[in-house]
Amino acid sequence: MADVKVKKETNLSEPAEVENRIKELCQQFPHGITDQVIQNDMPHLEPQQRAMAINKLLSLGQLDLLRNSSGLLYRMKDIQSTSKMKGSDNQEKLVYQIIEDAGNKGIWSRDIRFKSNLPLTEINKILKSLESKKLIKAVKSVAASKKKVYMLYNLQPDRSVTGGAWYSDQDFESEFVEVLNQQCFKFLQSKAEAARDSKQSPMVQRNSSFATSHEVWKYICELGISKVDLSMDDIETILNTLIYDGKVEMTVIAAKEGTVGSVDGQMKLYRGVNPVIQPTGLVRTPCGLCPVFDDCHDGGEISPSNCIYMTEWLDF
Amino acid sequence: MTAQEVRLCGLLLREHFGEVVEKVGRHLIRSGAQNLRTLLHETGISIDLVKKSLCVLVQHGVCVFSSGRKGPGSPTEYRTSCDRILRILRYPRYIYTAKTLYGDTGELIIEELLQRGDMTMSSTVKTVADRLTQNMEEGRSMDYSEVSSAFSKLVETHFLQRCPPMAAAATKNGAASATPATPATPGTPAAPVSTTLPTPESFPDCYRVPHVTLIGKGKRRLSNEDGEDQRSAKRAKIDSETHGDEGIYWQVNFERFHLHFRDQAIISAVANKLDQTSSEIVRTMLRMSEVTTSPTATCTKPLSANEIFRSLPSSYNIARPILDQYLTLLVDDPMEFVGKAGESGGGMYVVNLHRALANLARATLESVVQERFGSRSARIFRLLLRKRHLEQKQVEDFAMIPAKEAKDMLYTLLSQNLVQLQEIPKTPDYAPSRTFYLYTVNQLPTARMLLQNCYKTVANLIERRLFESKESKRLLEKSQRIEAILASLQASGAEPEQLTEVEEMITAPEKQQLESLRLHINKLDSAENQVDETIFLLESYINSTVTS
Repeated sequence: MADVKVKKETNLSEPAEVENRIKELCQQFPHGITDQVIQNDMPHLEPQQRAMAINKLLSLGQLDLLRNSSGLLYRMKDIQSTSKMKGSDNQEKLVYQIIEDAGNKGIWSRDIRFKSNLPLTEINKILKSLESKKLIKAVKSVAASKKKVYMLYNLQPDRSVTGGAWYSDQDFESEFVEVLNQQCFKFLQSKAEAARDSKQSPMVQRNSSFATSHEVWKYICELGISKVDLSMDDIETILNTLIYDGKVEMTVIAAKEGTVGSVDGQMKLYRGVNPVIQPTGLVRTPCGLCPVFDDCHDGGEISPSNCIYMTEWLDF
Repeated sequence: MTAQEVRLCGLLLREHFGEVVEKVGRHLIRSGAQNLRTLLHETGISIDLVKKSLCVLVQHGVCVFSSGRKGPGSPTEYRTSCDRILRILRYPRYIYTAKTLYGDTGELIIEELLQRGDMTMSSTVKTVADRLTQNMEEGRSMDYSEVSSAFSKLVETHFLQRCPPMAAAATKNGAASATPATPATPGTPAAPVSTTLPTPESFPDCYRVPHVTLIGKGKRRLSNEDGEDQRSAKRAKIDSETHGDEGIYWQVNFERFHLHFRDQAIISAVANKLDQTSSEIVRTMLRMSEVTTSPTATCTKPLSANEIFRSLPSSYNIARPILDQYLTLLVDDPMEFVGKAGESGGGMYVVNLHRALANLARATLESVVQERFGSRSARIFRLLLRKRHLEQKQVEDFAMIPAKEAKDMLYTLLSQNLVQLQEIPKTPDYAPSRTFYLYTVNQLPTARMLLQNCYKTVANLIERRLFESKESKRLLEKSQRIEAILASLQASGAEPEQLTEVEEMITAPEKQQLESLRLHINKLDSAENQVDETIFLLESYINSTVTS
């Protein structure tokens, strides 16, 4: 190699040139460049000049500073996001970054403080200004009603924060659940009655009184009582509450993959049932339901002889 | 012997046998086995009365005596148990069952035996025939043979059994203190040294009907013999005739009745859950295994589908394949009343007795929670029964109840001890913030607790009944006097005006009061019977878990 490679001699004392060079390097390596790479490229650059250039780029918002296991990484930033942050200072950018990292679960203000090491008053100010710029929003968490988590403006809050279909505005919709409960039960009950009246052989009767969770889901969707879209899992939770009420029983059968409503080769079937016994004898007496049962003794303040519940019950 | 049981036993003894017997009985329950001397000393009642009360108790099988702990020479000890006394609560149910199964004759036989404790066959037959004749029209009377056949039927189906026969006479004579001797003592238990008493069933002749010569008809009692008869009813009627069964005394076999009740409960549960035909099939299966299954068995002996098909009542002509379908459905039912034990003979099926009892007890617990606390609390209770251990948050999620209300309900249930809390610490110091708190329901202890509540309830009902009658004692006496006057006037043929005059001695508001009193007492009585049904279910369940 006789020729000496003629490199375009850059005037290394010009900071602008350094910055441009660094930017080019970044574009070459989109995943980010380390200090080492810059040094290799411009070996005669002094560390101080390098640091200055990098800081300038960072403050301009054209470079992203990241840390990985081996050291610091510099990465090119999107033009789009840089325009957004124009006019904000470093602290706001930092906070914004933290919130962005939290994704759609959001992050609590105290956690922002921990991550950024900024004092609380600063954080609050920044959060307010970011909110007014419509870059972030506050979402109330359903688990603890006083807690507010922050997330990017255009993100959908995660299910665990809002509670899913049963919560609207952080309130548990008990009437909605009750209505769904009743509707499902009525559907299953009418199916069971129809099966019983059909007077066929008992096996057929029982099988026709079953309804798959998919059928119930379709029925509820068609009823249109829900403003929110309900998934099959939601319907299954409602059906489970009916099981705990003792009104419905469930079996699981193996189903072919691909049949409507089957999940992992299984289908859940639900059926309305009758209670096994009538209300038991103990509860037909006032003592069975008495709130002061434990305080009742002969000759005491509350005793069978002067029990007002008994008197009312006897005169009924 | 919990406090509630003792209280209830005391009330039952007082109602049936009087205050003296109550005192003695109560004392025996509380103190376990005692001999006569200690009994005298501690109750402070005179020796005659104590002896008589012991007689009464022994006659009814409530109290048993055996020789003392220190060996053959020591004084006999008497002991009683709560269970036997609590059976008294169930007498109406036994009588009613006998009536449904064996008609009026059976009903009266059981009634007489329950009242007297134990009797020979001949005396029972005679008394029952007399009573039946009393209620028949003029000119007809009840034949002894009919009553005897009813008696034999009862013995064949094991509803009646012989009292354990007398052992060596030496035991009886060797007792140092005066053993109560009455003409109708049932046999002493066996060998002096054994501490456990043999059950009636350990004797081979337990269910053998003796050959009795009983020919005749019931005698109708004339009305002027009423007074005499009442006086001599307490004394044992000294019959000059002998019928060949002296010394063979019969008593009611309570265990058999309990098995019958248990079967009834299972059949009605199946009828409620499934349908009538299934319950008929289960009834057939239970009937076939009545005498082959031991009382404490977990499930009946396996029955093949062929046998069941043959034994079905002819009114239910269902085809064989349909029967198979019904049996399959019964086996698949989550309540597990019937199980499949094999494939021979078209399928071998068993009735799972213990599991059925557990399910019935669980349904009882759930219904108590439901009636007492509401259906949402019942939902939480059932949820915990199914899922065993759950955290607070999980309870809210599964039951779909808002957090605040769920918390409230859980704490109420916890305070009533229906739900327990289990702590699982993450760190060796049980720091509350680092511990899991799991809610759980234990079926057996909860059942025991409810059983005690039932006893207390029945005791309350009895007390209220006694209180109500005491309040209106004056009124009741007055009405009784008036009735007596009326009866005597009618018998001596008075004119209608005199009758109306006497009737008017009770004023209208008093009549109303009497009427309402009667209604109250009936209501309280029927409530006692209803609570007794719950008691029976819970007791059977608890006993089934003890033996298994």
